[in-house]
Amino acid sequence: MEKDGDLMQGTLDMLVLKALARGAKHGYSVAEWIHESSNDVLHVEEGALYPALHRLELKGLLAAEWGASENNRRAKYYSLTATGRKKLAEEAEYWRRMSGAIARVMQTA
Amino acid sequence: MAANVRGDRESDADSLRQRAEKKDHGGVESVTENAMSYWMRVKALFKRQQLDRDLGDELAFHLAMREAKNRERGIEEQEARYAARRQFGNITRIKEACREAWSFVSLETTWRDLRYGARALAKNPGFTAVAVLATALGIGVNTGIFSVLNGVALKLLPVPKANQIVSVDQILHGKFRRNLHGESGLFSYSEYKNYRANNHVFSGLLAYAPFLEATLGGDSPKQMMGAETSCNFFDVLGERPALGRTFVDADCRAPGASPVVVLSDDLWRTRFGADPTIVGKSVSLNRGTFTVIGVAAPGFRGLDPWPSAFWAPVMMQKALEPDADLLLDDNTAWLALLGRMRPGVSLEEVRAELGVIAGRIDQQYPGRTTTLVIHRATFMGRPEERSVVFGIGTVVLAAVGLVLLIACANVANLLLSRASSRQKEIAIRLSIGGSRWRIVRQLLTESLLIAFLGGMLGSLIAFLSLGSIARSVLAHLPIGAPQLVWNVSPDLHVWGYSLLLTALTGIVFGLAPALHATRQDLSTAVKGESGGLTGKAHGGKLRSTLVGVQVAVCMVLLISAGLLMRGLYLAQTVDPGFEMKGITQAQFDLPSQGYNLARAQAFQRELLALVAALPGVDQVEQAHVTPLSHQFLGTGFTLEGETENRQFEFNVVSPGFFAMLGMPIVQGRTFTAAETRSNAQVLVVTESTARKLWPGQDVIGKKLQGWEKKVYQVVGVVRDSQASHLGQSDGLFFYVPAGPEEQDRLQLLAHSKGGDAANIQGIREAMHALDPNLIVGVAKLADNLETWRTPSRIVAALSGVLGALALLLASIGVHGVVSYGVSQRIREIGIRMTLGADGRDVMRLVLRQALRPVVIGAIVGVIGCAAVSQVLSDVLYGIGSHDPIAFIGVPVFLLGVAFLASYIPARRAVRVDPVVALRYE
Repeated sequence: MEKDGDLMQGTLDMLVLKALARGAKHGYSVAEWIHESSNDVLHVEEGALYPALHRLELKGLLAAEWGASENNRRAKYYSLTATGRKKLAEEAEYWRRMSGAIARVMQTA
Repeated sequence: MAANVRGDRESDADSLRQRAEKKDHGGVESVTENAMSYWMRVKALFKRQQLDRDLGDELAFHLAMREAKNRERGIEEQEARYAARRQFGNITRIKEACREAWSFVSLETTWRDLRYGARALAKNPGFTAVAVLATALGIGVNTGIFSVLNGVALKLLPVPKANQIVSVDQILHGKFRRNLHGESGLFSYSEYKNYRANNHVFSGLLAYAPFLEATLGGDSPKQMMGAETSCNFFDVLGERPALGRTFVDADCRAPGASPVVVLSDDLWRTRFGADPTIVGKSVSLNRGTFTVIGVAAPGFRGLDPWPSAFWAPVMMQKALEPDADLLLDDNTAWLALLGRMRPGVSLEEVRAELGVIAGRIDQQYPGRTTTLVIHRATFMGRPEERSVVFGIGTVVLAAVGLVLLIACANVANLLLSRASSRQKEIAIRLSIGGSRWRIVRQLLTESLLIAFLGGMLGSLIAFLSLGSIARSVLAHLPIGAPQLVWNVSPDLHVWGYSLLLTALTGIVFGLAPALHATRQDLSTAVKGESGGLTGKAHGGKLRSTLVGVQVAVCMVLLISAGLLMRGLYLAQTVDPGFEMKGITQAQFDLPSQGYNLARAQAFQRELLALVAALPGVDQVEQAHVTPLSHQFLGTGFTLEGETENRQFEFNVVSPGFFAMLGMPIVQGRTFTAAETRSNAQVLVVTESTARKLWPGQDVIGKKLQGWEKKVYQVVGVVRDSQASHLGQSDGLFFYVPAGPEEQDRLQLLAHSKGGDAANIQGIREAMHALDPNLIVGVAKLADNLETWRTPSRIVAALSGVLGALALLLASIGVHGVVSYGVSQRIREIGIRMTLGADGRDVMRLVLRQALRPVVIGAIVGVIGCAAVSQVLSDVLYGIGSHDPIAFIGVPVFLLGVAFLASYIPARRAVRVDPVVALRYE
């Protein structure tokens, strides 16, 4: 559904930034990390992940570097830039506020 | 519960970016993010291939990891790979999305479309050539015409900072009396001084008299056009002289005080051999001596389309035009006004302030209100000229616009044919999810490419040939007409118009085929069937409509051309109501050559005697203006018993004038010799005048009050004729006798039974014998008719050319469509012939289908033209706007041509070998 996709996309950026907060990852491990961290609830499709990664790289929130992976294959590793870290903090704060507010609304009978 | 974060269905990075950006809630951050994005993408422009490779590697890596994971889970190798692929999704689409994120989508798409389009066009040189040529034809003609109109009426004056210069004209309403020495919107000298002294919006206001003809004396006297100007003329315009100086205020101190003149560069070079010591020398203008004080800069030719050869201070007006003292008359219109606005002043302020001054002037003339027309100064800027130019210009632009429309329809048809051969490709693209808009955009880019190629070609040809065309047209103007100088070189206006027209053209002929090609029945297209057995060729209806449109428009143009040509033919044979055969006219202006009344009387006496004595001459008469000579005399006379005067046209003639010109006197008589000799106050009026002023009464003896309050009596009524304006014979007109007091104004008419040519030579010699320095124009009276015919001749020629163009384009269009239709239906034709149809049946089938849109278009065209012809009948002489010959002859002609254009491919269809046709793919 268009609506779901919309909301998810903006939030996806935030999740990707969070995934990279602990260090550089390649695209596959970002998807795996989100999957595991959400207790298998969130499954990011490649069709959304890679455009998101590239978009964030274009905006200067991520830096990219080619390196060797665990099994000695060539892989592209993404890491957060300083701007990216700042953006992550902002997005996280915004999300906290939003979700808190929504939760409060839903709690009233 | 699991939630999938899905990618977008449309792999359109722009909208992805846009929606992501909408989520940004920090304004400043998105600006830096956008800037960064731009910068990164610019860097990536040069590393396209590297980017692609990296992307491929990145996704391949992900795929491999997934495959490995699947194998870990225990799925066997082959299945693991397939499962990984399936989970991954559409690799190509993902790659597209990422690639697009890195590109400047619009720019790159456009660039790609352009390259693709260029390649496609190069692969089909025949199609491209025809399309480009048709477009070039249409756009070239339009650009050419617009250049001419631009040069004539839209360009600012060729002076420094011309956008500050405004022209001021006036329109008078209500009851008033006004003497006209030129157009009605001009000002008197006192009015000019009023405006000049009382305004605060102009840094300078100049006045000049536009139509000054003077004879330059010397060894071979010559007549030239010049202008009397206020002494700030050159200063306001910002024109510095090339030699010497221009006028100063002292030159306009008092009338006649400062006989100085500034020469034009052309005159200085042609007449005075570019003499570097010309300043301070004397020249003779209208037999008066003037001192040359300067030479204008090369390229400055005055403020009108006809070049001025000299400029003299306005104070010298009486010296240059001895029979009128215009400086003193407050109520004579003879000066054109131009002002240079102060910086920071707007046009509204100018209009407001000058309007106040006009109101104050009106108070001196109760019953009169003046409105001012003020706008940026251009050539032909005065209201009367402007309305003529705009009127003609609109009609001409409409006509060439129609030609362009036909060309567009042609190219659209071509594009339709080509698109249908790419049906398969387009269908496949659409079916795998390509966006319709993208394909339309690509097709449109191709169309715009054709349009720009054609537009450039057409415009270039127009600009290159315009100069020579303009020159040849001007060379063919009759001798009396002034030598116009038109700058038709392209400037910003023209380029802008050309570009806009090109873009519009590309969209007009590209949009319909593009939309049509992308809206289709996918299954049949993919299967490759071209319309099947029903014979409805793909896009048939659209094609037929286009043909119909072409034919309709062509019909309108051809009928209009036909009407105009008929108008010309009739104008050639129109009977102006008087006899011109065998009559020679001698035109000369004695006062400007220094003749006073006594000398003029003596001169005329001798001249009449000399000419009458020439062999073959059997009658000699005098007239102030000769018929149809574009000279008009007007004045106001009052009817007996009325207080308001009416405007009359008049002429001063000797008694035998009417007989010589074959104008019968229907009541009363012409002047007697005695009346003529004694300057008696008698009149001969025309029939219409009699009818209008004294309906139903006996006109002889009626009185009119005129000059110096003298009362004039009607002694005769002459039949109406078109003596002053061709096509008009019912204005108020009277004749007065050519007495001794008038002798210095009169010109000569001589009739001879033999040839005119001998007459001309004889008269010239006679005049030369009397006064070798006199400028005189001797010609056949019938030549005057030529000047009246020239406009319609030019118009007819132009419309003939356009009509021919339209016909050519339309025939090509019809031929193309029918050929295409035939080739589409080859299979069907083959089947029919196998089933027993013979050649004639096939022919009939093809022709009937081909000619249906043609006939419909023709009918629409005829109806459309009936509406248009109302407009045209203003330009025509005496042609009814529903001239049957044009309205019947042209459609028949056009249908004949269309039939021929359809016949040729139809015959080809008949010759088809059924076996070959059945196998035709």
